[in-house]
Amino acid sequence: MKVSLYNQLVRAGATRRDVLKGAASMAALAAASSAGLGALTRPAAAADDLRAQILQIPGVGKGQPTDADFQQVGELCLGATKANVKEGEFAGVELTFMGLNNQNLHNVLFRGFLKPWETYTGAKINWIDLAQADYNARLQQSIATGTVDFDIIEMGAPFEGDVCGKGLTSEMPDWVKDQIDMKDVVAYLQPPVGTWDGKQYRVTVDGDAHNFNYRTDVFADADLAKAWKDGGGEGEWGVPKTWQQVQAVTKFLKGKQVNGQDVFGYLDAPKPWGGFGFYFLGSRASAYAKHPDDKAWLFDADTMKPRVNNPAWVRAIQDVIDALPSEPADQINADPNTTAFQQFLAGTGSMVTWWGDVGSNVKTNDSSVVGDITGFSILPGSDDVYNSKTGQWDKLASGPNHAPNCAYLGWGVYVMARVDGDEKKKKAAWSAAAHLGGKDLSLWCAAYPSGFQPYRNSHFNIPEWVAAGYDEAFITSYLKSEADSYNHPNAAIEPRIPGIFQYYSAAEDILANTFAGKMKAQEGADAIAAAWEKLTDQIGRDNQIKLYKASLGM
Amino acid sequence: MTDLASTGSAGHRASCERARRVADRTLADQTLSTSEWPAGAVPSDLIPRSRKRLGWALMAAATLGLLAVIALQILYKSDVDTIGFETWRPVVYAYVLWGVALGIGQVLTRGEDGQRALFLLPALLFTIAMVIFPTLFGFYIALTDWNLSSFSGRQFNGLDNFWQMLNDAYYRNALFNMVLYVLAVFVEYVIAFGLALLLNAQIRARKFFRVVFLMPLMLSPVAVSWMIGKSLMEYRFGPAATLARHLGWENPAFFSNPITARISIMVLDAWTFIPFMMIMLLAGLQAMSREVLEAARVDGATAWQTFWQVTFPLMLPVSVTAVILRIIFKLKLADIIITVTSGGPGGATDSVSSFIYREYRDRSNVGYGTMLAMAYLIIIIVFVTWLLKFASRFVRNVN
Repeated sequence: MKVSLYNQLVRAGATRRDVLKGAASMAALAAASSAGLGALTRPAAAADDLRAQILQIPGVGKGQPTDADFQQVGELCLGATKANVKEGEFAGVELTFMGLNNQNLHNVLFRGFLKPWETYTGAKINWIDLAQADYNARLQQSIATGTVDFDIIEMGAPFEGDVCGKGLTSEMPDWVKDQIDMKDVVAYLQPPVGTWDGKQYRVTVDGDAHNFNYRTDVFADADLAKAWKDGGGEGEWGVPKTWQQVQAVTKFLKGKQVNGQDVFGYLDAPKPWGGFGFYFLGSRASAYAKHPDDKAWLFDADTMKPRVNNPAWVRAIQDVIDALPSEPADQINADPNTTAFQQFLAGTGSMVTWWGDVGSNVKTNDSSVVGDITGFSILPGSDDVYNSKTGQWDKLASGPNHAPNCAYLGWGVYVMARVDGDEKKKKAAWSAAAHLGGKDLSLWCAAYPSGFQPYRNSHFNIPEWVAAGYDEAFITSYLKSEADSYNHPNAAIEPRIPGIFQYYSAAEDILANTFAGKMKAQEGADAIAAAWEKLTDQIGRDNQIKLYKASLGM
Repeated sequence: MTDLASTGSAGHRASCERARRVADRTLADQTLSTSEWPAGAVPSDLIPRSRKRLGWALMAAATLGLLAVIALQILYKSDVDTIGFETWRPVVYAYVLWGVALGIGQVLTRGEDGQRALFLLPALLFTIAMVIFPTLFGFYIALTDWNLSSFSGRQFNGLDNFWQMLNDAYYRNALFNMVLYVLAVFVEYVIAFGLALLLNAQIRARKFFRVVFLMPLMLSPVAVSWMIGKSLMEYRFGPAATLARHLGWENPAFFSNPITARISIMVLDAWTFIPFMMIMLLAGLQAMSREVLEAARVDGATAWQTFWQVTFPLMLPVSVTAVILRIIFKLKLADIIITVTSGGPGGATDSVSSFIYREYRDRSNVGYGTMLAMAYLIIIIVFVTWLLKFASRFVRNVN
């Protein structure tokens, strides 16, 4: 869970407790806690007991968890490890773990979680902590120069092509699959994500997808509804369900006001953002380009011929060009950080796509003024979807085509192939990874600040959150938009091929020129396709085709 | 030392045998002054041939050893033979050993001269290892197709990167922007000169203003980018934008259209670095002799004449230095652009460095990125050399 979301929920929880219980019961609670958490738990199945018990560490409203808490959670969740590993079995084994230290999370938590594991198994872990900005460069250099100096790595799925695709990771043993209960992971993170050539490599510890955030006040405004009708707007005034509607609404809202303030429609992010900006064109394009009958949407799977210049993508690019004049005057210089945090949260614009962070910031970010007037849904759909095989636009019988953009796919823990030569070390590394991806431990990570989002079906059990002290209405609406994206049958999956961020970054530069009016949409798209073809040749086409297919599970 | 020196020069003509005898006697007589240093120093021509031979042999052996290790490793890495090391580290060790042997060899063969060389050798070897070799290696990388994600690794591809660069509209665009950015230095110079004149005049709180005007220089350009580019000049809530609105500019978007964006970047960069030029010019003004100014006044020159006929020509050497240093700084401009506009809108503000940064960092395109950087390096070297020549001639002609 994101820190800010946690703080917001904590604030809600603390208030309720203060009101309902008062100071006296606080003292009683403290006494109960010191007498043992078991006293608070309901008599239920042992597993449920454990889950309720760890959710009380340190307890909602008791401040940020500390290292002691991480260790306690790690200790309590050690059951699965104990079933597979004898005490002291890994004595003498030393492992190196490379991961991030963003916001003092990630590795900082892993350390605490693995402390009791080290004590029990006798293994020792050395840590390499990296800042996000250094991560990619360090990883790529390790790969390119053949100096992989770590046994376990925390890594995003898009890098799987660079790492797993090059045979640098160790295949997951079956006992690990059982220990982490892989079937519980949400649909879109199931294989092929985390696999290459049918081999499982990743212990998932996080989930990611773009959702659609909108202003409830704007789409319930009576004056706007009247103006919309008077202006001949199609249908009733309300939250757009398709990109066609998003376009119409965006153009309609130019120059309109709500409560005396300028209101704008959709917020595009045309400025390059280190490759990550391309995801936002992807979110606009997925409903046009991702056909339910076709797993691929960025490249032709058989040839790696880019689809980015096909009519679907060109339509998405043209949509941005058409919408920009209706967006705030300096929108051309807005990157995704601007659209979400400087614009949407501050009350500019009424629609934006982003990862879960908008939802987790609307009520907690100091600059946010839209806390109570933000709604969430999956990405808009499209009335028609492009069929790359026939070259036609199809209208589906089931209605608008939706294709949530499962951008980035979240973090995972991987074991490097260099442990494969030593059975004891291999088992130790996998045991450590499995411990971090454990079902119960992950619930705690989803509920407390950890840098990780929910990613298991069992994380969406709302009563569990409410019992732990969370505000039901908020957590329900927020989690629903995430869960619906994750489990969508036509989700657009990130192509996990080597150098994927190079493709994105090259595209961003050309898109910036296109949006600035130097090229037409089709010309820009053709230039991107040409750049991508070149990249594919440079990286190695045959391999890319193989890996692209593998990443799509074809 | 006179004794030793004279025997030394005598030994130059005499046979080695005699020289050694003289030297032995000199040492035996303890005529060597205690203040001499280094104590055991022996002039090269007094060194026994055997010792020289030992020195040559040592150096030759070390050189052969180093070359052998390098050759072995290259053959191993290019899969020609199967014996070699996993990493290139042994080559570094061999280089260090070679350096040590070289040092010892110098002392053995050249005596005191060799000992003097020891002062220089480590720095020289370090420079070779850390500057010269990487530069040459960089040129080699520039001739390869090396994408970090590529399965085939680094591939030599001759001048392909160079031809690609010539056809790269983005690179040309960045070079063109650099011309504009460099030209802006002259505007900065005028402002800096004006400020320097002001701060050199008898004004109130002069010291205070000098410190205040220096402050922007002390800020990191990244901090400036965030504080000013992304906060003060922010379109929606930035105070600068609000002020501009009050002044009648309807859409004060500082980074949205190519021309305003370029000017905004230039202003940001100028704001940071004008103090640098100003402080140099101020130092020049203060070092200027008062007498010439007083003489001009006695001759009845107006303030305008004094400036153009006296101050400005006398300040030319300082001015040229300040402008050239500033141009060199400017050629490296990247941080502000990367942070504020990422080169946008549509490449309008891209500098060569910010473009290479994207090519290299975001796209891991090491070979091509290096080619761009190397080409830029050569352009800079040629340009700055020409600039220095031109400047010195200019200064000479004017004075």
